[in-house]
Amino acid sequence: MSKTFDRYASIIFLLIGVLFIFESRKISASSYGSNVGPDVFPIGLGVLLILLSIKLFIETMKNKRQETKGDKPDYKRFLIIFAAAVLYVLLLESLGYVITTFFFLVIGFQVLEKGGWLKTIIIASLFSFGVYYLFVEVLQGSLPGFPI
Amino acid sequence: METLQFLANGFGIAMQWQNLLFAFFGVLIGTAVGVLPGIGPMSGVALLIPITATLTSGLDPQSAAASSIILLAGVYYGAMYGGSTTSILLNTPGESSSVVTALDGYQMARQGRAGAALSISAIGSFVAGIVSLLGLTLLAKPLSELALSFGPAEYFSLMLLGLCAVSGLAGSSITKALIMTVAGLLLATIGMDNVSGVSRFTYNNAYLYSGLEFLTVAVGLFALGEVFRTILDRDKDDGNIAKVGRILPTKQDMKDSAAPIVRGSLLGFFIGVLPGAGATLASFFSYIAEKKISKNPEKFGKGAIAGVAAPESANNGASGGAMIPLLTMGIPGSGTTAILMGALIMYNVQPGPLLFEDNPEVAWGLIASMFIGNVMLLVLNMPLVKVFAKVIETPAKYLLPIIIAISIFGVYAVQFNTFDLALLLICGLLGYYLTKNDYPVAPLVLALVLGPMIENNMRRALTSSNGDFSIFVTSPVSLLFLVIGALWISVPLIMKMRGRSVIINEED
Repeated sequence: MSKTFDRYASIIFLLIGVLFIFESRKISASSYGSNVGPDVFPIGLGVLLILLSIKLFIETMKNKRQETKGDKPDYKRFLIIFAAAVLYVLLLESLGYVITTFFFLVIGFQVLEKGGWLKTIIIASLFSFGVYYLFVEVLQGSLPGFPI
Repeated sequence: METLQFLANGFGIAMQWQNLLFAFFGVLIGTAVGVLPGIGPMSGVALLIPITATLTSGLDPQSAAASSIILLAGVYYGAMYGGSTTSILLNTPGESSSVVTALDGYQMARQGRAGAALSISAIGSFVAGIVSLLGLTLLAKPLSELALSFGPAEYFSLMLLGLCAVSGLAGSSITKALIMTVAGLLLATIGMDNVSGVSRFTYNNAYLYSGLEFLTVAVGLFALGEVFRTILDRDKDDGNIAKVGRILPTKQDMKDSAAPIVRGSLLGFFIGVLPGAGATLASFFSYIAEKKISKNPEKFGKGAIAGVAAPESANNGASGGAMIPLLTMGIPGSGTTAILMGALIMYNVQPGPLLFEDNPEVAWGLIASMFIGNVMLLVLNMPLVKVFAKVIETPAKYLLPIIIAISIFGVYAVQFNTFDLALLLICGLLGYYLTKNDYPVAPLVLALVLGPMIENNMRRALTSSNGDFSIFVTSPVSLLFLVIGALWISVPLIMKMRGRSVIINEED
C-alpha cells in the first residue's frame, strides 16, 4: 500500500511542481527597480519540488521491502462521518449553527457506537446550544443563527 | 539588572487577574490535552487559537496578544505534564514525547507505585520548567541583540537552517520531509505578493487573495487528520487503568530521582533550543543517558524511578527551550512553536529580536506567566492526578465528533466563510493520508508560516546585491547558517547509509 502511495505521491508532487512553474511564468513581472520579481521564488521552489519527486520516485523503485498488512481501515464508519461533516459545512450558513451542529453530533456519536440515545441527544444539544449561547450572547461573536 | 526590571514588569502583566485566569485555563486544558489520547499539543494549541481570539476581542491589541499567547503557551507546556499520566497508568502515551516514560512508568504502576511515578514526573516537569525559564530569561536579551545585527541575507539563511533542521529530523525519509517543506513553501506563495502587490495563483478567487489561512491548514492537518486516523484505524483502548495509590513519593524515591531530574532538565533545555530537535528527542536522549550512567542499568525497564524522572524533566525542559529561538529570533523549531508563531502573527505581533523592544509586555508577560503556570501545574497535578486519570476514560464515541465540531466552529468563528471550512476538511483528509504514509506534516506547517518571511528576506537581500546570489555565501554569518543547515540534512543521511539507526523526532 505504502509503495504505491509513494509512487502516486511522487507523480502528483512532480505535477504540482510543473504546474507552479508553468503558472508562475504568467505572473506579470512588474517589480520596479529590482530584477527579482514575484515569480523567482515559486519557480525555484517548483524546480526543487520536481527534483525531489524524481528522487522519491527512484527511491520507491529501489525499495522493495514488503509492507506489513495491518487491520483494514474502517472505511464505512469514516465515510458516513465525513459525509456528515461535508453536509454540516455546506448547510451551516443556510440552516444555522445550532441545528447543523446538533445533527452532525448525533450522527457522529451514533455511527461510532450505537445506542445510548438519551445521552447522545443530551450531549449534542448541550454542545450545540452551549457553544452558540456562549459565543453569540456572552462573547458577542457572530454565528449563523436559525433559519427564518 | 535590566533583565530583572523587565521580568518584574512581566510579572506585573502576568499577575493581572484575567491573565492569571488565562494561564490557569491554558495549563488546565493543556493537561487534559496531554492526557487525552488522539489529541496532542499541536492540535490542542491550533484548536484553541480561534477561541482565545474571541475571548480577547474586547481588549486592546497588545494585551489581547499577551493574554492569548499566555493561554496557548500554557496548553503547550501543560500538555507535557499531562502526557505522562497515560504513559504511566495505561502504557499508552498521550503524546509522542512521553513514549519513553511508559517504559518504566507503567512498570512502576504495575508494582503499585503509580502515584509515586506520577508525582515524580510532576516534580521533574516543574524543576525542568523553572530551569528552562531561567535559561530563557538569561538568554533572551543577548540573543535578541545578536539577532538584531542580522541583515536580510543572514535571516534568509537562518530560516533556511530552521527548515533544514526540522526536515532533517522529521519522519523516516528525509526526501519526504523535504518534499513537504517545499510544498509548504509553495503553498505560502499563494495570494497577494507583499513585495510587488501582484496576486499569485489566486485565479480570481476572493478567498485566495490573502493566501491560505495558516490556522485552517494547521487545524485540518493536525486535529482533523488525527481524528480521521482514530476513526479509520479503530484505535482500541481496552487497557486496564492502573490504580493511582499513594501519591507522595518516598524519601528514597526523591533521593533516587533528584540527580536524574537535574540532568534531564539541563539536557532537555539544550536540546529544545536546537531547532528541529524537540521534546520527543530530548526525552529519548535523557533516558539513554540515564541508563548509561546508572550504577544498575539492569533496573531500567523494570520500574526504575530515574527512568521516569529524567525523560519527563527533559521533555518539559525542551518545551521551555524551544521558546528561545521562537521569541528571540522568530524561528520556530517545531510544529507546536510554529503554531504559536502563527498565533502571534495573527495578532500582528512579529516574534523575533524586535519583539523584546516593540512588545515587551507580550514577551516578558509570557515568560513571567510561564513561571506562574508551572507552579499552577505542580499544584494541579499533585492532588488532582486522580481526577485527570478519570479524563482518560472519556469515551472516544463522544470525543471524536466533538473535536470535529470544535475544529469547524473554530475555523468558522475566525474566517466566517464556507471556503475555509471546505479547505479544512480537505486538509484533514490530506493530513490523514500523508501522516499514514510517513510524510511528516509539521515541516509543511512550519514552511507555510516561514514562507512569506523567507521570500521577503531573500528578495530584499537580492535587491541590495543587484540580483547577485553570492550575497548569501559572502556574508560569513549567512554562510555559517547555510553550512549548518546542509550538515543537518546530510549527517543523518550519511549515518543511515552506514547502517546506523537514527532517532527521529515524531511530531511534538
